[in-house]
Amino acid sequence: MELNAGAAGTGPHKTASERDEVAALESLQFTDEIRRLMSAPATDNASSFTALLELPAPQAVQLIHSPDSAKLTAAPAPAPNVDDFKGSFHYPFNSGLIERAARFSVFTGDGNINEDNKSNSPEPTSYNSSASLQKPVKSEPAETESSQPLVSDPTVENRRNKRKDREKVKGSTKKSKTAAKESSDDAEKLPYVHVRARRGQATDSHSLAERARREKINARMKLLQELVPGCGKISGMALVLDEIINHVQSLQRQVEFLSMRLAAVNPGIDFNLDSVFTAENGSLMDSNFPGMVMPMMWPEVQLNGNRQQYPPQLHFNALQQSVWGKEEVCNNYITPENSLLSYDSSGNSAPLHSNRLKMEL
Amino acid sequence: MRPCNSLKLEFLKNWIMGLQRWSFSKKEMGILERKKAIKLSADIAMASARNGTTRWSRALIANAYSKHDKHLVSKGASTEYSRRIRSKKILKRSCRRIRRRSKGLVRERTRILKNLIPGGELMNEGSLIEESLDYIVSLRAQVDVMRSLVSASEVDR
Repeated sequence: MELNAGAAGTGPHKTASERDEVAALESLQFTDEIRRLMSAPATDNASSFTALLELPAPQAVQLIHSPDSAKLTAAPAPAPNVDDFKGSFHYPFNSGLIERAARFSVFTGDGNINEDNKSNSPEPTSYNSSASLQKPVKSEPAETESSQPLVSDPTVENRRNKRKDREKVKGSTKKSKTAAKESSDDAEKLPYVHVRARRGQATDSHSLAERARREKINARMKLLQELVPGCGKISGMALVLDEIINHVQSLQRQVEFLSMRLAAVNPGIDFNLDSVFTAENGSLMDSNFPGMVMPMMWPEVQLNGNRQQYPPQLHFNALQQSVWGKEEVCNNYITPENSLLSYDSSGNSAPLHSNRLKMEL
Repeated sequence: MRPCNSLKLEFLKNWIMGLQRWSFSKKEMGILERKKAIKLSADIAMASARNGTTRWSRALIANAYSKHDKHLVSKGASTEYSRRIRSKKILKRSCRRIRRRSKGLVRERTRILKNLIPGGELMNEGSLIEESLDYIVSLRAQVDVMRSLVSASEVDR
């Protein structure tokens, strides 16, 4: 018990330090990228980029020395992060301000950031790393130093998404906070949902999120329209919803009626199942019947140890086929006899089943 | 979209198990009671054929567990479902004002749909549509199986 207490005691500490480690590691990766980029010539808008780099660089140097370098080499470098960083960004060069501005862009979508987007750069690829980087940002906004490069990540993502959007958009600026938000929402499915602002449409983050939601809902409504008979031609959400409601109600009513009818077949059903289940244990898969392996489902209703000699049992496989609406039965227990049997319609073989039921009554 | 056979098979298996369990407990009941039991066991069977992957199935099982006699639903998962549903209800109640006035046709119909689908009040609109899709498919499978059972047992009486 002491061990447990001790482990529990060190547990939170460990996770805290782990978190710090992770944050430091990720900041390291980032700073590594920055350093790499600093050595390589910047392609466009070098001025703003290096201006931005002025600040992270000294802090990057600080951070480099603290953790061990092994992690640095081991960590896969998210190169596209920094490529996007090249984009024109004109942040105030103060760590606190950067942090605040980044957070502001993440959560509200600032106008300043939009205007600064001028250049296009090659499309970034690895969103996963930044998506994973974004999460620590949101969980640890308090730490300024280590989080400063992290905090820039959402802005990096903003940059990236905005750039991608801009490539498609004819002339409107956009915010990509929604893309960042969607990434955290759909992180398990897609790393990013690219939200493209259409020409002439509102581009603030809320309407973008709203539009993404609407598109998702519309896609599902289309599926529903295909499902519900007679809905394909209807346009307009209200009428389609009407049809869906009618369909669901009719299905539920059908279930009620059918269960009433089944209750009226009385007391055959329970009796059937009683006898079935007493016999179920031994003989479901055994070939009690000569050379016959019954499919698993209907034997539960038909199969009975006493009825082995009942001759029309051969036909019950046919019954099952017809009962299922002649759909292909997907279990493997169907014997060759099924294929050999010539069964036609349910009317033909159902009487056999009902005869059997009568016998059991 | 025809419901696939595996769903129907699973449903039938569960249903027969449930019916058997029920018939052991009560021997005589009127036709209405029997009908209710049949319907309930069918619903639960269909919901458990979903194995807790959809919200409506969990809600249905949780409701059945709380309302009706518990012998039909005897798995530990049902208590877990009811726990989830309860926490969801608490959350919903705390962070939203329940507005009953439904302006607009779409809102009205969405409300109706929410009442139709088990556990629908707790879902937002997107998941409501998704759940209703799944629910319709399952209902169709259920109706197919029941209808074939009825036709098999009632022909030539």
